[in-house]
Amino acid sequence: MASAIAQQAVAVCSAPAQRQAPRASAKAFVGASVQRKHAFLGRSIVQSSSKQQQGASRSAALKVFAVRDGTPLDRPLRVAVIGGGPSGACCAESLAKGGVEAFLIERKMDNCKPCGGAIPICMVEEFDLPMEIIDRRVTKMKMISPSNREVDVGKTLNDKEWIGMCRREVFDDFLRKRAAKLGANVINGLYMGMEQQGDGPITLRYNKYNEGDKVGTPSTLEVDVVIGADGANSRVAKDIDAGEYDYAIAFQERIRIPEDKMEYYKDLAEMYVGDDVSPDFYGWVFPKYDHVAVGTGTVVNKTAIKQYQQATRDRAKVKTEGGQIIRVEAHPIPEHPRPRRVKGRVTLVGDAAGYVTKCSGEGIYFAAKSGRMAGEALVKASEGGKKMAGERALRNYLDEFDRKYWATYKVLDILQKVFYRSNPAREAFVEMCESNYVQKMTFDSYLYKTVVPGNPLDDVKLLVDTVGSLLRSNALRAKDSKSVNVSFGSKSNEEKV
Amino acid sequence: MMLASSLRAVGVPTTLANRAQKRSVRCEVSENGAGASTATLEKKDRKPSPLQRGGTLQGAAAAGKDASDKFKSMATGGKTGGPVLQMVDGRFEDYRWKGGRWDLSLFADSKTGETSWDDVIDAEMARRKLLEDSPIPCTNEDPVLFDTAEIPWWAWVRRFHLPEAEKLNGRAAMMGYVLALFVDQLTGVGLLDQQNSFFGKVLLHVCVFGILIFRTSSDVERYKGLIDEATFYDRQWSATWEGQERPSDK
Repeated sequence: MASAIAQQAVAVCSAPAQRQAPRASAKAFVGASVQRKHAFLGRSIVQSSSKQQQGASRSAALKVFAVRDGTPLDRPLRVAVIGGGPSGACCAESLAKGGVEAFLIERKMDNCKPCGGAIPICMVEEFDLPMEIIDRRVTKMKMISPSNREVDVGKTLNDKEWIGMCRREVFDDFLRKRAAKLGANVINGLYMGMEQQGDGPITLRYNKYNEGDKVGTPSTLEVDVVIGADGANSRVAKDIDAGEYDYAIAFQERIRIPEDKMEYYKDLAEMYVGDDVSPDFYGWVFPKYDHVAVGTGTVVNKTAIKQYQQATRDRAKVKTEGGQIIRVEAHPIPEHPRPRRVKGRVTLVGDAAGYVTKCSGEGIYFAAKSGRMAGEALVKASEGGKKMAGERALRNYLDEFDRKYWATYKVLDILQKVFYRSNPAREAFVEMCESNYVQKMTFDSYLYKTVVPGNPLDDVKLLVDTVGSLLRSNALRAKDSKSVNVSFGSKSNEEKV
Repeated sequence: MMLASSLRAVGVPTTLANRAQKRSVRCEVSENGAGASTATLEKKDRKPSPLQRGGTLQGAAAAGKDASDKFKSMATGGKTGGPVLQMVDGRFEDYRWKGGRWDLSLFADSKTGETSWDDVIDAEMARRKLLEDSPIPCTNEDPVLFDTAEIPWWAWVRRFHLPEAEKLNGRAAMMGYVLALFVDQLTGVGLLDQQNSFFGKVLLHVCVFGILIFRTSSDVERYKGLIDEATFYDRQWSATWEGQERPSDK
């Protein structure tokens, strides 16, 4: 029975091959030109890796040449996007809008990724986000130093400026649905691996989850380009040997607190800095739709994350009194991009590539933007899916992204290196944030994602004030202080736990 | 006669001895009278006790040698009001810490009546150390609002930079002198003439700034580490482009 079906499959396969053989040699790989619109059952059989099919393909393959970038295609360019988070969904959306055939493979459609959930307002405009998916608009932020000196940041915001807090499951779902509406194929499946013969098409292996299935059915998909958008633990990155990166562990507890305490956090987020809270990051209290998320993170001392969490809870103890923990979650956050973000026709976007800023740990906007840029680069290079596109287009996307956001990343890196080193440095940080000029610059660069050079005179004054603050805080450090000094260079990597 | 009779009444014999006695009695009477006034004089004019006399220093000069505020307030039974640099009930308590700030008027120097900035710096240092060792929750009722910029810049310089400056100036002077001698020996150019050469001036600058920057031998390692840190992130970002041509460079 199986062999009969297989023979039928072979017949189906070879028929197109015979039709195409007389045409120009550089054509799509035989056996894979299945029309998207025909959702017939036989499709999965045709694409199942049976030995007979491979045998037929191999003989036909002798006639097939690797397709070079820029060659016209007789069917739209096929791109698989692995991972349906913000980066994957925005990538699939750009591809589908541009006429490229996009397959979005997501393993868990209701995934609730542990996340701060903060999005800047420029994202709402750029990605046409509706107000419904934003639960809260944070307009005030409080920074609290190790000696509990608190500073209200947000005095310079006008009423049109805010930070949006959203639920990741709602946000991701909206973006995926939008991609699907524009023509992307959203597939519920778990990516298992991929094979590529030379420079030819890439065969993806994945476990497809049909309705109600607990275990997926192994399936394959043949595409021309693969985009890895599967997050910090990216499988695609491992498969293309993209290299390792340093990552922070972010640990968060969601706490439902009484109404009156929740009123205080209605539009306010808090940031706690200190040795007790984290040696190289900060602890936070972010308001979610009906509860707060209290969490912290660290790179250098991951095994002590629970202690840091306890210290953060203690610092916010009075303000979250009477709260109940409803969820505990943790997730890695990349610290810097992977060494090799592209290999052949496979590239990475979002957290998989490591586009998370230092100092603030912001990743959603850059993930979505990198996904969109990758999609647009492919659309442009393939001229609407009509031509083959490959590594050159992907390198264009990488270059464009690097050039556009390098200044933002570098400024945040400098801030982290200067102000997260030790307790005195953090005290100076909080003291500096008191000034209106600093608040305005910070929020302008965060909300609009442009590093705006301010008035040079004010910048010089800021520099002098910063140096003064740092000197004073370091002078106030007691001789027998047990505060830890962290360094952020390459040597400290070996000492990281 | 009346005197004699009174004397006899007193029982004093009226012979020659009497005369002496009289004298003595008279003296006694006068002494009694004088004694009476001496007694009152003693009550008014007794020699002062050591506690009252004080030490060799008087008044304000002596008060400057008091023990630290903490023990002063403990000894006077806390009349100056309240705990000093303590954690009470999980909150930071100090009688000078009011409304989240140091009340500068309570740091008045006893001699001049102006704020003693050194004491303010000490108090803030102690508060930070205390909170670093045992962090307390941040509450809305007790916000911390003290800004170290309230302490004037010259107080910081006087306290922290001047002792260091003395050392550094000394080092620079010694190095300068030795180098001047060395150059003189090598080239025969005297100290003043060395200032005319550009190379001499450059060496002078290098020497002085070197002493300012490299204060201890561990500083060399520290600065190498800083350079590594400053460029590490850049290297991580450009790792993808190693051996590849960037499209924007074309």
